[in-house]
Amino acid sequence: MEYVRKLMDRVSVEGVKIELLNTAYGNGDTFLAKLDPRTLFLWYLYFGIAPWFIHDVILLFGLFFLMGLTTMMSRVSPLIIGILCLGLLSQAGYLLIVSWLFGGGGETILPLLKLTLKLSVISLASITVFCSMDPEKLSDGLLSIGVPKQVSFGIAYGYRMLPSLLEEYHHIFLSFRLRGVAPQRHGFLYLRSIIYFLKIAVLSFYPLILSIAKRTRTTVEALETKGFSYAYQSPRVKRIKLSYMKFTLRDALFLAVSAIYMAALYILAVQFNL
Amino acid sequence: MRDENNIVVMEGVTFTYPGAEQSVLNGVSLEIKRGDFVAVIGGNGSGKSTLCKTLNGLIPHYYVGDYEGSVQVNGLDTLKHNVAQLSRHVGYVYQDFENQLIRPTVLDDAGFAPLNYGFEDYMERGRRALRLVDLQCDPKEFIWQLSGGQKHQLALAGAISLDPDILIIDEPVAQLDPSHAGKIYDLLRNLNECHRKTIIVIEHHTEFIAEYCKTVVLMDAGRVLWSRPVKEALRELNQLEVSHIYPPQVTQAAAKVAESGYDFGVGGTGEEAGVESHRYPVTLEEAVKYFGRLQGEQREENVVVDPLGSMGADDSAAGLGGAVNASNSSNAVNPIIEVKHARFSYRTVTRERKVVLDDVSVTFNPGDLVALVGNNGAGKSSFLKLITGVTKPEAGHVRVKGVDTLRTPPEQLADMVTYIYQNPEEMFIEDSIRKDVEFFLKARRVIGYEQKVDDILDSFGLTELQHRDGRLLSGGQQRRASLAIGVAMNPLVILLDEPTANLDIATRKDITRLLQQLNRHVETVIVATHDMQLVAEWANRVIVMHQGRMIRNGTRESVFADADLLDLAGLTAPQILELSRSLGMPQLCYTVDEFAQRWKAAGRREALVHGVCT
Repeated sequence: MEYVRKLMDRVSVEGVKIELLNTAYGNGDTFLAKLDPRTLFLWYLYFGIAPWFIHDVILLFGLFFLMGLTTMMSRVSPLIIGILCLGLLSQAGYLLIVSWLFGGGGETILPLLKLTLKLSVISLASITVFCSMDPEKLSDGLLSIGVPKQVSFGIAYGYRMLPSLLEEYHHIFLSFRLRGVAPQRHGFLYLRSIIYFLKIAVLSFYPLILSIAKRTRTTVEALETKGFSYAYQSPRVKRIKLSYMKFTLRDALFLAVSAIYMAALYILAVQFNL
Repeated sequence: MRDENNIVVMEGVTFTYPGAEQSVLNGVSLEIKRGDFVAVIGGNGSGKSTLCKTLNGLIPHYYVGDYEGSVQVNGLDTLKHNVAQLSRHVGYVYQDFENQLIRPTVLDDAGFAPLNYGFEDYMERGRRALRLVDLQCDPKEFIWQLSGGQKHQLALAGAISLDPDILIIDEPVAQLDPSHAGKIYDLLRNLNECHRKTIIVIEHHTEFIAEYCKTVVLMDAGRVLWSRPVKEALRELNQLEVSHIYPPQVTQAAAKVAESGYDFGVGGTGEEAGVESHRYPVTLEEAVKYFGRLQGEQREENVVVDPLGSMGADDSAAGLGGAVNASNSSNAVNPIIEVKHARFSYRTVTRERKVVLDDVSVTFNPGDLVALVGNNGAGKSSFLKLITGVTKPEAGHVRVKGVDTLRTPPEQLADMVTYIYQNPEEMFIEDSIRKDVEFFLKARRVIGYEQKVDDILDSFGLTELQHRDGRLLSGGQQRRASLAIGVAMNPLVILLDEPTANLDIATRKDITRLLQQLNRHVETVIVATHDMQLVAEWANRVIVMHQGRMIRNGTRESVFADADLLDLAGLTAPQILELSRSLGMPQLCYTVDEFAQRWKAAGRREALVHGVCT
């Protein structure tokens, strides 16, 4: 009972909100978080794409090890890791079943496992990069590499709204519960209860959308009075806004170590394959 | 510009929102002096907010409706300058100020406007604005971690970050608890006096207006009726009444006393009541002098005992009488709600647990009309939610009619307990009021629910509005609708969270009246509120919460007579109560009527004594 309650605490709307916010903003003091966003983009450019073209198992395992390390360094929330594992496991399981059904043996499973490995490397790289940049940094980083201001502002604002939206959603959800009727019995495999909750979880979005629409009016007016559209075209504002971003020794070090590791990995792989 | 001293000059401004048929402003002409502190008053829909939006150019640049007339702000014609240019002269704080905070962290938000205007030192400007509004928190703090009062301060900081000459604040105290409200007004006064800002507030609370503002602008149906110095304005009792504005309680009291003639000769000397009203007090300080003088004049005439001193215990029948503490008098009765050693905490973003309720034990009985008071964050809402069963206590237990909430889903408890949200919009889960009211009954397949819904809609005056979407109604209508939804659930217990917040005073009176009728429907009503007038006029039991504990549980008297307690919990007693305290009346008065009645009774007795002596 105690265990179930603890679990419920985690999966409650409130718990999800906290995890999401932590993922977004909570890791500001890690080594990776202190890097310049452009460094991370550069890093991601390689580690997010290269694995697609690498077929060597040793290389892939080396990459996986590195990504595991950086993921640990970025102190990712357990919820995200949990979701990732679930995704990978179900994918691997599904591939196994498919290959078995179609009469494949060990020789088909191996490439499939390789694919899963690739996917996990890429996923972990993405997690490392995006968890190490809070939405602010991400949006400034995007702005600095020439993404339009609407997009970068939208990211920052979306995250700023996230907690209030979740809270409002939670209230509406509770409104349904406080007036509705829950099924008397949980039913086979809790199916009745699950259906009941899923139903109100979906229904709660409609009132939410309407009330967001109402809120936004003030926000748009406030943006106007705070000179957002005035600054829209101004390169000067962009320069001032981004003036805090600097490459430091830390950035150089991070890129250098990654590069050396990769070089060593390639040499190792070549040695083995000889 | 005709007069250098006028910072705002409006001439014949008429405006109709795009798509609307009726104009919101009808030929408004108004002048506001530089350095003034102006309150704009008027009933709902009289055009107050629209008027203010013409000053920063949102009208006519952002809302492109039918616009006539001219507005000059700080010498700039609003037609020729855009919103961004005008915003450097006019700062605006909205009523729903939370939605005007755009950036995720405090300093970022305060410096957002200076950044957009291309100031290199935008961070410094943001910091300066934060200092000006006295917001003391980590500049890197996330805005969703701030309390309501802090958010308001931050919105204010954002508005003054460009150092505008004019500052407009739409209902500054509507969403704040009384102690924060006072703080915001102190800030505004400081900005007005020390930094020479012209301040314009839209305000319903005449007690704040009397205390802080210099000029009052009365609006009605899109026109400015007049603009007068504050004292003169608040003494226009008849005109204020027509516009559904309630003057400060002390002014009402003076008028009531004068009306009945028991003002010891001051009002009864044959002078016109209208002339007399020019002497009415508008602040507590003035009122103490005013009534003190009445008392003094009386003493000179007949050298007898102090008339107020004689208003003793025998007068208690004049009071509300219903103020009996039910908590200890009815131990024999089965309690409706029983809370024992309840503890509740939640996780914050930093994964720490914050304790909001700590070892709370209390019982509620049939007939209890409970006011739950205390400043923001004292644990009031959390306590109410424990009773609904949507949250469960970590330790201890909560029982409603013997049913343990720990083992009962909220859907089942809803048969006994109704919770009415602070924000009525969160209760509108359907697309019409009628559907919302019938949701509960329909879900439970109650036979003949249509008739019941009709009756409830009728008794809450919602029949006309029943097919409208709740979100599109006015604040007062929304509140009525949320009460109707609650009553339709036919509960034993109704829990209300801030039922009178965000309402103008007339609507507040209306809601208070509805609350007074609630006990016909239910056994126990618990209201969490900052509205001390509501507490004084309605509750028969008051619970004061402070930092997750109940520090007082008793009658109104036990709370309002204890100045230290009020101070600790950040509460402000109603003005009339403070007046009766300051005058040294042996019994505290909770309503204006009560005060007038006591005064009357004392006067009558006085006359009697006087007659005997001569």
